[in-house]
Amino acid sequence: MCNVSRSFRPGLSAALVTTALLVGAGASAGDATSAPPPPPGGTVGYALTDLFWSVYQTPNGKEECPKGFNDGPREQYAKLFPGGRKVNVVESQLKLEGQTWWPSPGPDLSEFHAVQGKYSYGLNLDGKVGPNDFTHPDGTPGIDNGVYRAVGCIIGFRGPDGVEVIFQNKAITSDTFNRTIIELNGVDSWEKDDDVTVTIFRGRDRLLTDATGNKVLPGGTQRIDTRWGKKLIQQVKGKIEGGVLTTEPTRQMIIPWQNLSVPSFQLIRDMRLVLKVSPTHAQGLLAGYADIDTWYRQLIRNDSTHHLSNGQISGISLYKALRRFADAYPDPKTGENTAISTALDAKFTQVFIQHPDGDAAKAELISSLKSQQAARVATAQPRQQRQ
Amino acid sequence: MSKVQGIVRTDSWLETKALARSAGLPMIALAAVLLSQPAVSAPAKGSTPAAAPAVSRDYLEVPMPPGFRVEISELEGPVFADEKGRTLYSWPARLLRNGFAGEQKGTPRCYDEVLKETAGLMSPYPPGVLLPELDKRPSCTDLWPPVLAPEGAEKVGKWSIIERKDGTKQWAYDEEPLYTSVLDRQPGDVLGGTSRRHRGDSPVIRVPVSPPPLVPPGFAVTTTVNGRLLTTDRNYSVYTPEDPSACDAACLQRWKPVLAPQTAKPHGDWTMVTPSPGVRQWAFRNQPLYTREGETQLWSLEGSDEPGWRNVYVQTVRPRPASFTIQDTLAGQVLADSRGMTIYTYVCGDDSLHQLSCEHPMDTQVYRLAVCGAGSVEQCLRNWPYVKAEPGAKSDSRLWSVMSIDPMTGHIAQPGQSGAISVWAYRDRPVYTYIGDLQPGDVNGAGTGEWRGQRNGLKAFWVRDDYFGGTL
Repeated sequence: MCNVSRSFRPGLSAALVTTALLVGAGASAGDATSAPPPPPGGTVGYALTDLFWSVYQTPNGKEECPKGFNDGPREQYAKLFPGGRKVNVVESQLKLEGQTWWPSPGPDLSEFHAVQGKYSYGLNLDGKVGPNDFTHPDGTPGIDNGVYRAVGCIIGFRGPDGVEVIFQNKAITSDTFNRTIIELNGVDSWEKDDDVTVTIFRGRDRLLTDATGNKVLPGGTQRIDTRWGKKLIQQVKGKIEGGVLTTEPTRQMIIPWQNLSVPSFQLIRDMRLVLKVSPTHAQGLLAGYADIDTWYRQLIRNDSTHHLSNGQISGISLYKALRRFADAYPDPKTGENTAISTALDAKFTQVFIQHPDGDAAKAELISSLKSQQAARVATAQPRQQRQ
Repeated sequence: MSKVQGIVRTDSWLETKALARSAGLPMIALAAVLLSQPAVSAPAKGSTPAAAPAVSRDYLEVPMPPGFRVEISELEGPVFADEKGRTLYSWPARLLRNGFAGEQKGTPRCYDEVLKETAGLMSPYPPGVLLPELDKRPSCTDLWPPVLAPEGAEKVGKWSIIERKDGTKQWAYDEEPLYTSVLDRQPGDVLGGTSRRHRGDSPVIRVPVSPPPLVPPGFAVTTTVNGRLLTTDRNYSVYTPEDPSACDAACLQRWKPVLAPQTAKPHGDWTMVTPSPGVRQWAFRNQPLYTREGETQLWSLEGSDEPGWRNVYVQTVRPRPASFTIQDTLAGQVLADSRGMTIYTYVCGDDSLHQLSCEHPMDTQVYRLAVCGAGSVEQCLRNWPYVKAEPGAKSDSRLWSVMSIDPMTGHIAQPGQSGAISVWAYRDRPVYTYIGDLQPGDVNGAGTGEWRGQRNGLKAFWVRDDYFGGTL
């Protein structure tokens, strides 16, 4: 491994992915006299400001994409319907759109280039080291990241200017629908605390930014969305070691994530957070198993074929790849895996979370937390309807 | 007589309604015919206001040539109509991804030529691709007959006469060439197009032409799915309290009276109240108007969540069919069927220079079949089932109807046709549910189709959105 290009990962890569190293360094960091005091009342809130699929990349993909990058819709169309041949809209455009919306695992339109490299960011989600696992750049084996294997050689998912890296990430900040906020309670130390409660909400407010509007500043306020976002609320236990918060896996996390006004979300099963925390920021990984159909639909509902073309993202080919690399949650009837391991680079900025006033509102909130445990999983696309 | 995808219909049905009002009224600036009625407001839950008046003649009367009149439609409110009551439409030009479609002022582009190829106006697909079902494809004027001006017709106010390339004369309003729609069947129908807001990647649709709303400077009226919403001219919602005397000092911290200038005078439904000496506040239909402090969304309904406060509508739609429900989602509220499953509408315009509709059951169905089931009728019926109407179902709202559909073609069934099903239709287009919605409140089908569902795809039937910035 050499020449890893990380410049597109704004401030994230160095701190967030080398969990083992961070944990190892924790003891000495905790002894430092300059360590900030614990947050007032042991509580700190953060708002999610950056989120994109974690991609390990070397210059020009030389290491991980030796066969080059994948074709997108424009390239595939040009090969299928070369210039001069008169075609009907039904057999060309509509046929491809139909396959995009109702994909099948059959033969691909063109050769698909999956990631061939050894390394990936992410976590060892299953606690095993298998033949399909990656090795973390820090040497940690057993990294599960099937999504990276599928998207790593698609330029739209690569930094710094891939269409998904730019626009899906931008929407996290700009769109209030996507305002995921977390609150940590019981924080006695920024360096080591064995018992921290993490509550996930959706906020209702715009983020506090500097004069450019691009840089999110700590110190903003977020009201909790207890109406439309009620089913997003959940709690999970975690611990801080060496300044890194690690949560237990939640059964699932719904991440509201619309890009262009289509109310969509990602569904991450066994979701866990690994975040370097400080009084002003938290940054690290959000990892787990993405429900494949929800993952795919979130992409194509927000980004039309035009937008996907700008990143050379063929929905038709990508879906087939996601199915091939699926590695978890087999369908009880077919045995086919329905979820795929993944990791997202996540960055949070401190906010003051304003809780609903009044005992009734608090009781309602607690009630919603309990009911969340029994909530039914709603994927964007039930498996049995696929062709 | 018009040809639409092989279906022939006559205009005789248009003549069954007597003309409600005489045409050719002289200009009476700021002297409209106003019906005195209470302010109409939508309840906080976003459902259709019950028993709300669906007719409001609150428009500014403008001079019209002989033969034209104003009809009051349920969704769009006052619209100009021809002597048979047919709504008039314009087709304003708009920039699509790769060029303009629609008409520049004064320049008709809708003719009787049957276009055969795509224009490549939308990326990434190229121009020059053959359009579907060419043997049955209508021309632009088959669907949008121009409103021709008789010999000797003269310009009146904003009404002018332009010359088509074949030498015929066509009426224009504000220099926009005027057309009628073959979909409109009776006076007050606005089935061909809408003035509701739409996103930039949607087809360049036809827009009903209306007289200006009768509101004082500083206010605006916007057509929403719930009715014609009164806002400030910056599109912030205005609200009114159920108890007009209830807004005390604490209330005024959250609600800001809409002040009237000293020069303003009462007019029709518009009056002033004086909550404090020297303070003049606008009132509409005797109810004082406020804006909400800290409002961030345009056309917002959030203020109606506050007990005792309501949005203000100039006119509301009639109640939706009783079997429908309203459901909360992650983004607001949607209309749903009796089981709570979200209802979707289908939107489609083709990639020709004429931007012809492909969303009506009389249009070609190949576009819909592609996105609802990869071209398979069976898959479409499974993935996006029609919302079937119960036997004997009726609607008080003209926006909703029961339509007999041949499910194997997607076209309107012939009378008595075997296998036909009765389905609910909104504005004459069938509505659907989505197999991927598993429980009430799911909107997993929203944005399905080309261009995030805006161009050849399906959109959830939002009755309230708190996140999209006023797509109502």
